[in-house]
Amino acid sequence: MDKSRYPMVEEVVSIGFNREIGKDTFLMGFPCVALTSRAKPGQFLMIQVDRQAKDPLLRRPFSIHGVLDSNRLMILYKVVGKGTALLSALREGDTISAIGPLGNGFTLPGPGERALLVAGGMGIAPLFFLTQVLTRAQNHSVKMFLGFPTSQDVVLIDQLKGLGVDLSLTTEDGSLGIKGLVTDLWDQTLSQESTQKPVTYACGPASMLKEIAQKAIARNLRCYVCLEGYMGCGLGICQGCAAKAAGSKDKPYYYVCQDGPVFSAEMIDWEVM
Amino acid sequence: MGALPELSVDIGGLKIKNPVIAASGTFGYGDELAPFYDPSLLGAIIVKGLSLRPMPGNPPPRIVETPCGLLNAIGLANIGIEAFVGEKLPSLATIKAPIITNIYGHTIEDYAEMARRIEGVKGIAAVEVNISCPNVEQGGMAFGRDPDSAARVADRVVENTTKPVIVKLTPNVTDIGLIAKAVEAAGAQSISVTNTFLGMAVDVATRRPKLANMVGGLSGPAIKPMALYLVHEVVKAVRIPVIGLGGIMDYHDALEFLLVGARAIQVGTANLVNPKAAIEIVNGLTDFCLREKIKDINEIIGALETKGEDHEKKGDRKDKSKANF
Repeated sequence: MDKSRYPMVEEVVSIGFNREIGKDTFLMGFPCVALTSRAKPGQFLMIQVDRQAKDPLLRRPFSIHGVLDSNRLMILYKVVGKGTALLSALREGDTISAIGPLGNGFTLPGPGERALLVAGGMGIAPLFFLTQVLTRAQNHSVKMFLGFPTSQDVVLIDQLKGLGVDLSLTTEDGSLGIKGLVTDLWDQTLSQESTQKPVTYACGPASMLKEIAQKAIARNLRCYVCLEGYMGCGLGICQGCAAKAAGSKDKPYYYVCQDGPVFSAEMIDWEVM
Repeated sequence: MGALPELSVDIGGLKIKNPVIAASGTFGYGDELAPFYDPSLLGAIIVKGLSLRPMPGNPPPRIVETPCGLLNAIGLANIGIEAFVGEKLPSLATIKAPIITNIYGHTIEDYAEMARRIEGVKGIAAVEVNISCPNVEQGGMAFGRDPDSAARVADRVVENTTKPVIVKLTPNVTDIGLIAKAVEAAGAQSISVTNTFLGMAVDVATRRPKLANMVGGLSGPAIKPMALYLVHEVVKAVRIPVIGLGGIMDYHDALEFLLVGARAIQVGTANLVNPKAAIEIVNGLTDFCLREKIKDINEIIGALETKGEDHEKKGDRKDKSKANF
């Protein structure tokens, strides 16, 4: 069989760095030309820490967070369970198995089109890569809204500023940046910038995505959301990561791994999210 | 190195080139794992369970990981038999391994109708009858928990197809041997043991079940000892070939099932974790036979030693296998 027609590969990669950059938040980088050359913003990797281990059993999905040079990929993750705890304990030179790049990735804005990026917490993971690509292309006007619960959770501000993106930071308790929710700030900006129709890219908690998607649909604005799904395989086999499709009777569910993880807002049935 | 060992086995009217079969629901519609290796190298491929009409599947969350296990309630989401035969099957023509369809129905007549639809279809080598899915309200496991209804389903399928019929049993019964005997008497050519074990997981913080369907089916290494035991029970109960599955992750696990008498094995959950799991098991079995100077894999099948040897001799064997496995 001709393997070159398939975009995905399985690679055992050697970790270049794995450091805690915020409260329980880690940034990991590793060289891998095969993955880096194929990766697009919004795509993800299925990662396994130990091939022999039976617990945890399944691979876990991680958004591709960005590229360094042309041969290194990064992932950003929060330690939330056994798998991410094991991942966080790895050191330079340790290996992991990564399958990717998986999923569809973001549809980039047209030339000159204004892009509004809305990230809630770890939702920054795929949007950082999108920011890299958009700021490098230099023909888009990009504004990012970044929200965290408290100042303790805030990460990546310097790196984002380094990319030259227009950045607004919110925290729910007001301990850093503007007090409030990132969705409100995005909404206010839309009201102020009524002259042109920006395209919104959002990633974060389901409740945040629901609000953004519904408001974007109501305003008749293009909006892409990057969903998280509980995946068994990431390869379109197990059909675990179902997301209810809006309207469509022939396709009651989308699969986040295969049909997404990026969806145009109107594709999803937000009532059940 | 000598000649390659003979790995082919007969699973009841169907001879396959090696005893490693991709299990239904973990190999898509047949070619999803082709990016990782040529699926033609497997003994056979059992595609995602099909019903007469397309099924949407259950609402999410559909899966949750438990220690060494995967609890799922997919709900047999599938495109339906028509779409499979019309749209998917033609693209599988390049795969040289036999394609086996897994079917399930809401009524006994559904099973019969599915068998009729498949009967004339070139490119389908055999039928696996699912009377064991725990995740659908009607049908599925309901038929597999009673010897009479299990036999009726098997009988109606056998009546309507000349293709070999494999019946896949549920472990969620008191006496699996009884069910196995019933489907054997009804004319099934082989039996797959076992589908998933019923299970639950609860989120303590929200006090809600972790699966939207409340209950699901457990697979993965967590169930392997129980599945192995059930294979042993069914092998004792029937004369037709038994295909073993349940938590097989590597060739060593596969050998355990073959030793208790499974004629072939299926690889399921392992495919999700390691896309190359099934082909690695084929290669592992080949290497094992070469190392152990086993000319034919059939020498292993049912070769479980249960009596006679003294401890010293057993000890020798143990050491030997440790060195070689």
